[in-house]
Amino acid sequence: MLKKMLEQFGIDEKRLMLEWVSASEGDRFASIVNNMTEQVRALGPLNWNQGGKHG
Amino acid sequence: MAKLKLALYWAAACGGCDVAVLDINEKILDVAKLADIVFWPIALDFKYHHVEAMPDKSVDVCLFNGAIRSSEQEHIAKMLRSKSKVLVSFGSCACFGGIPALANLTTRAEIMERAYIEAPSNENPNKTLPQTKVSVPEGELTLPELYDNVLTLAQVVPVEYFVPGCPPTVDLILKVVNALATNSLPPVGATIASDKTLCDECDRKKEKKMISRIYRTHEIIPDPERCLLEQGLLCMGSATRGGCGALCVKVNIPCRGCFGPPAGVFDQGAKLVSSIASIYQTNGKQDIEKMVNELVDPAGTFYRFGMSVSMLKRRIPQKT
Repeated sequence: MLKKMLEQFGIDEKRLMLEWVSASEGDRFASIVNNMTEQVRALGPLNWNQGGKHG
Repeated sequence: MAKLKLALYWAAACGGCDVAVLDINEKILDVAKLADIVFWPIALDFKYHHVEAMPDKSVDVCLFNGAIRSSEQEHIAKMLRSKSKVLVSFGSCACFGGIPALANLTTRAEIMERAYIEAPSNENPNKTLPQTKVSVPEGELTLPELYDNVLTLAQVVPVEYFVPGCPPTVDLILKVVNALATNSLPPVGATIASDKTLCDECDRKKEKKMISRIYRTHEIIPDPERCLLEQGLLCMGSATRGGCGALCVKVNIPCRGCFGPPAGVFDQGAKLVSSIASIYQTNGKQDIEKMVNELVDPAGTFYRFGMSVSMLKRRIPQKT
């Protein structure tokens, strides 16, 4: 649902990740977070015109 | 006590807020007893230069409705701010962007393209677009500039109070008038409505918060006693400020969220996404897909009135 909504906002779906990780899966948690961080870093900053008047 | 000086203005709005002020019926006479109206474009023939000529802080209260999306609206907002002691952000558009802020899902260029070139009723072979300045033999003509983003009043100038609602209800307007009459205004920054959610004020029977299908309002006739959300209608009551008297839900229409987020909620839409997603019963991917398909327009549903104050505020323009 959130993915569909973010798409309407023009946000790349690669910027959202949904994963289930058990408390015992520390390594997996760390690698998922690292991968996500790299993925978002590769996408670069949001080209976001927030408060300004002109596009 | 000397009479108060009252100004009212409309920016990007439908005019319903002004009509709501008239809806207080005979109480308008009390307002007239209490205050002299010095500016009200919908009802009285004052001009901008009349307001401009007033000394700073000479208007006691200004009820400002409508969002800010053009250079004219920003100019008047700044002017009324400096002329007014108390500036009230009046109605959902001024408070949260309201319906006009749904334009933040597109851009100014796309709006111009659609309205002046693409729309089938147009006859515009030269693709003429409105210009802020045009020279004609008689002189230069000017138009206000349309902004790319629809902003709230408080995003442009500081505001003392917020009165939400599309439009604010008669009871709320009278509450404001009474507070003015008795000089008992709340602390600056307050939202004049309820601090609870609409759900807290709704009389409907709430049993089991679980749904297995989302219905749009034209698809079912809901039971008038039971919680609308539990019947599968997207009612925004759980993440919407109360104080409206539950007008919509009393006539079997789900809340659309016009009173904005309740105290303590930062992003109304995000709150609603998580609450709807958490009550939808799913058994695997298929059900999730079904839910997503049933929810036709999440951004327009969950941020129907609150796009300008949402975390994202607008669609991110795509790189081309």
